[in-house]
Amino acid sequence: MTNRRDFLTAGLLSAGAVALLRSPRAAAADSRPPMRFVFLNRGNGLFPHVLPPPSFDKALAEKERKKEAYEVDLDGHALPEWMSPLEPHKNQLTILQGLSGKMCTYGHHGWCSALGVFKANERLSSIKWATVDFELARLFPAPVPHIELACFPNGGGNARGTLNGIATGFSARGPEQPNFAFGSPRVALEELFKSVSENKTARLDYELGRMLLDFTAGREGGTARQLTGVERAKIQSYADSLEAVREQTRQIEALADNIRRHVPELDPKYLAENVNTLDRQSGHVEVLLGALISGLTNVVSFTVDELGHDYTGIPGIEGEKVNMHDIGHGKAIGGVAAEEVRRRTEHHHMKLMDRIATRLKAVPEGTGTMFDNTLLCYFPNSGETHHAQGIEYPFIVLAGDNAKINLHRRYIRLPGYGQAGHKTLGNWYTTLLNAYGNPIEHYGALDVGLKDLDQRGPIKQFLA
Amino acid sequence: MTTTRMRSASASLLLNLSLVLPLVALSSRFAFAEEASEASPVPAEVRAVIAKRCVDCHGADASEGGVRLDQLDSLSLAARLDLLNRAQDQLFFRLMPPADAEQPESGERAVLAGWIGQTLRQHGASKLDEKLRYPDYGNYVDHQQLFSGEVQQPAFTPARRWLVSPQIFHERVMDVFQLTGRDRDNFESRSFFGVTNPFLLPDQAGVRYYDNSAIDGGHLLVMLNNAQWISRKQLQAALLKTSGPQNGATENPADRWFPKTTPPAFEAIVLSDAPPTDAQLVAAIQTQFGLVLRREATSSEVEKYVALTRQAVGLGGNAEGLRQMLVAVLLESEFLYRLEFGAGEPDEFGRRRLSPREASEAISYALGDRAPDPELVRAAAEGRLQTKDDVRREVERLLKESEYYRGQVDPSLNGMHYQSNQTSHPRLVRFFREFFGYPGSIKVFKDPPRSEGYYANPDRGTLGTPGYLTLEADRIVTLHVEKDEQVFERLLTTDEFFVYHDRDNETGRKIIEEWREVYQRLKGTAWKTDPAQVMAENLEFLKARKATRIVEKSPPGELVNLMYYLEESLGQGRTPFTTVPWAHGYKYHHAPFYGLPPTPSIGRYGDWRTTNYTRKLEPKVFWDYPTEQPFRIAQRKGILTHPAWLIAYSSNFHTDPVRRGRWIREKLLAGRVPDVPITVDAVVPENPHQTFRQRVESATGSQQCWKCHQHMNPLGMAFEMYDDFGRNRQLEPLEHPDNLLQRGDGKTTFDRYKTAPVVTTGALSGTGEASLDGEVADALDLIDRLAKSERVRQSIIRHAFRFFLGRNETLADSQTLIEADRAYVESGGSFRAVVVSLLTSDSFLYRQDLGNRS
Repeated sequence: MTNRRDFLTAGLLSAGAVALLRSPRAAAADSRPPMRFVFLNRGNGLFPHVLPPPSFDKALAEKERKKEAYEVDLDGHALPEWMSPLEPHKNQLTILQGLSGKMCTYGHHGWCSALGVFKANERLSSIKWATVDFELARLFPAPVPHIELACFPNGGGNARGTLNGIATGFSARGPEQPNFAFGSPRVALEELFKSVSENKTARLDYELGRMLLDFTAGREGGTARQLTGVERAKIQSYADSLEAVREQTRQIEALADNIRRHVPELDPKYLAENVNTLDRQSGHVEVLLGALISGLTNVVSFTVDELGHDYTGIPGIEGEKVNMHDIGHGKAIGGVAAEEVRRRTEHHHMKLMDRIATRLKAVPEGTGTMFDNTLLCYFPNSGETHHAQGIEYPFIVLAGDNAKINLHRRYIRLPGYGQAGHKTLGNWYTTLLNAYGNPIEHYGALDVGLKDLDQRGPIKQFLA
Repeated sequence: MTTTRMRSASASLLLNLSLVLPLVALSSRFAFAEEASEASPVPAEVRAVIAKRCVDCHGADASEGGVRLDQLDSLSLAARLDLLNRAQDQLFFRLMPPADAEQPESGERAVLAGWIGQTLRQHGASKLDEKLRYPDYGNYVDHQQLFSGEVQQPAFTPARRWLVSPQIFHERVMDVFQLTGRDRDNFESRSFFGVTNPFLLPDQAGVRYYDNSAIDGGHLLVMLNNAQWISRKQLQAALLKTSGPQNGATENPADRWFPKTTPPAFEAIVLSDAPPTDAQLVAAIQTQFGLVLRREATSSEVEKYVALTRQAVGLGGNAEGLRQMLVAVLLESEFLYRLEFGAGEPDEFGRRRLSPREASEAISYALGDRAPDPELVRAAAEGRLQTKDDVRREVERLLKESEYYRGQVDPSLNGMHYQSNQTSHPRLVRFFREFFGYPGSIKVFKDPPRSEGYYANPDRGTLGTPGYLTLEADRIVTLHVEKDEQVFERLLTTDEFFVYHDRDNETGRKIIEEWREVYQRLKGTAWKTDPAQVMAENLEFLKARKATRIVEKSPPGELVNLMYYLEESLGQGRTPFTTVPWAHGYKYHHAPFYGLPPTPSIGRYGDWRTTNYTRKLEPKVFWDYPTEQPFRIAQRKGILTHPAWLIAYSSNFHTDPVRRGRWIREKLLAGRVPDVPITVDAVVPENPHQTFRQRVESATGSQQCWKCHQHMNPLGMAFEMYDDFGRNRQLEPLEHPDNLLQRGDGKTTFDRYKTAPVVTTGALSGTGEASLDGEVADALDLIDRLAKSERVRQSIIRHAFRFFLGRNETLADSQTLIEADRAYVESGGSFRAVVVSLLTSDSFLYRQDLGNRS
């Protein structure tokens, strides 16, 4: 859809817009490091039954079956085998079960639903407001306020038409404003790090873009200066936004040395046109890390896969192009059972989580590490299974020590759907927003089926 | 949940978002006040009024509310302006002096208000002026005074930039690509792959498209992407003639479309190996200005753009350098605004007429979303758009023109199996749909089991039940706008509706005729016991009747299903719906929301691929479908009883008599209801023994609440004859766990509760006619009276004014409104006559420079 070079400019601009609209809270930010948020979401559902550690006793298993609330310290419990890459991070790990999202579109494709908590149906008009990642980005401005990466669907009714380009993503900037996402590590790398690129074409794109902004900012600023009153207001905000973009461009240039130091050096296999899915995911994670560590952004959303994405590179069946819809319907591929195919892909996702956490733990920041100021979530974008009913959206959360939420080293099952005290995705995101300075009473649509429950507000026990 | 909240979190979130932007804009405006020189002294006559009427409470001895008005001269300019803004609000909204205090004479009030207003405007700091530009304040101009005929002030609209609507934006992009004919038609109902519409009208009912919006960072963000994509597509045809890396081939197979030709001035540069000459650059710049801004570049603009393009060509080569210029023009804020400043010498009142070009655009964007048609462009260029008669001639011509503006009422409603209806002037229909606000039904989510499973919420690929209902309401509006007789009255009182009318009357009649022939011939055969044999024996007969959808290879189950369907309809003296329930994508389940019986469910006859004909069908009464539509429905009168409107003004679980009443008070009776005070937590208490009406009454009956609710509740309560899905009712289920009689599974059985009788009485007030005001038996009685009210007619005229002028009316528009009202009455209720009257008025044609000019 959008050309690569446009997208960086757009990213830069949105930084400007955010800067203009940022709240006094954000404006008064102190010198503490910003909080970073990484949202990894995947398609085809995430089975709740694969998350409890196998060492849980019968009593807990019974509670699990009945979807009754309980909490267990993970100390002394080995994680399920597919989650084993997260063993080194158990102290920062939370397995959060029981959140529902029936106010979302669930099942095959949820589009912006799981991050926006409304029914999104690939129609622009169905996007009601900015998704939670964009709301968090507003609280922690950065030169590029939000980066979205994706392994796009290439079939299944919502194909993006490209695997390697830039296309409509799964987050939303605001009402009826879908975001754009980078489809391949190569495109993301080229665009995000263009300002320090040694590639001649990329440099040229950057120079031309900057020149255009200077010209347009001059034109609109000149027009605004000749006006007064209401008519001036009609141009001033636009002119101010252009100025803000230029300012952000200057900020990026000021960060150039740091950005240059952290430009990911990707193995050529990640940059290939026909990169397989697992390598595509790994390459995206390298870009994600480079963008976070260089200070380019504080928020990244990554659609790790989507139902319509044909998987390649799955261990043991590397040569197969795996249709995830078939997996959803239990079809074995290359002699490997569907649930095992799921397990192998999810195991890889946990390796990605581990790679992010490990790397950030190695970057000193303040008196600790960058990971201390990071919250990382992995969750399904369409509910608990292939044909989900939106009853459960399991979350795997890695939260650094400075995360302002009371989680860590716990398996938490919240009361099941419809039970007293039941919580929704809206409650969970309200918790995050409240914790980091957005006092919103409730984020997201309400579930009309839960009319007898008070659905509003944060999950109070999670607020530190 | 102990209480039912009347505002949702989502609403408040949107409110927050919508508030942020104006505040950013305003903050820069009011900063100008600080730059002004010190304030001049308070005139003696003003000082006298303040001394006589204000200082008793706001002076040295008493400064109630912390306000003193006896020290205005000693305040800094900023402090004085702040205080005057507060005082202006109090005076305008008649909050001061308090109702129980002695009131100032009208002359005294005028002296004080006049000076305050003048002082604030002098410093560009009047917050009231700012407020009065917004839709919520439209009714603050006194209705009686407006239509009294006493006000003879010359009318004008302030010189302005008016942000384009979403529809105009889309048309402008098509203009940039110079699309015509089929190419243009293709994009009328679909968007461009790489263009995101940066505009979104607010959700409110009433007029949504005002001239008070401004472009901001969000628009710029979207436009940066749009401009890049558009500029590439502008050059793509030329680039394909070149070789090399920029030859225009698209990376994305879903993004293949591009205009067939690149404008020659661009192509000349793209295909040249040499750097462009000045003449080539000027030609390209003028071409892009013409396509994007619909005007020539000035010499100063040409100079700047030539410099830009030269520099960009130097860096990126001919094509890429040229493209930067294309992008820069697309990013001009002028692309996103309609400019209406007037031209020529001002008249004796300081007004300028719209220039012919401005007038041509204003007319065209009033009647549709497209730029002027060639005839209107010619009229403007040839000096035939100078006089009021010229404008009348063109407006009347364009209203008779059936194709230029033709399009769907709202393409965003289109789905796989349904399309928004077409009409010659969708914008005229759009006025009424926005005025009534029934498309708001799409935003209200319901709990489907409460509707016995008939209601479907919008979901992936469908707008569900409210989508269908909105489309059907659109058709009624379209019908009466096209008939153009007594339009307001018909829309308020018609008892004829369209329901499930997915085929025209003639096609529907033929289908039923063929089905009748089939049923008559086969009803006595063994279709239940040996359908294969019956089908084989009658195959040619069945195939000849296309409505059976039976072909050579059809399974016998299809005949069985059809015969069951016909037996349960024709066999019982009723006409079946002309689409069978097992048709692909069948979603017609909403007849009950009109108080009509349902049609058979999808699964009633089993799978058409089998011969599951031994199924025992529970007898059920289905709808006797009228193929000729619109048709009469009992107990319904007009749009206010249409389920789309009733749902739009309901909550998730309840009717909403307060909002329904408020809508009538504000939209039909030109009345005002203040917002809920921030100190009030507007909730309806739970009570398992009371109807919703009783619960609302208990919450709003106190003296403090009733002060405002008396203007809403008596109007809205009359609609309690319908439930929150729009179904007729006499009993209301008391949906509380204590009253549950039978628990349903939510799929085939549903919760049943104790019931209580509904009370449908209400009261009409505020028409100004004693014969109409008073107690009403129900909504139908209320609507009959409203339709006869002169004030209701004038209130709709006021809203039409706002729709076509993009602003609230002021007293100076009095003659414009009186003329429009007269045009409606004298034409027998023609809405087109209202449009002609408004578009030839001084309000529409004159602009006054209020210091906003570039």
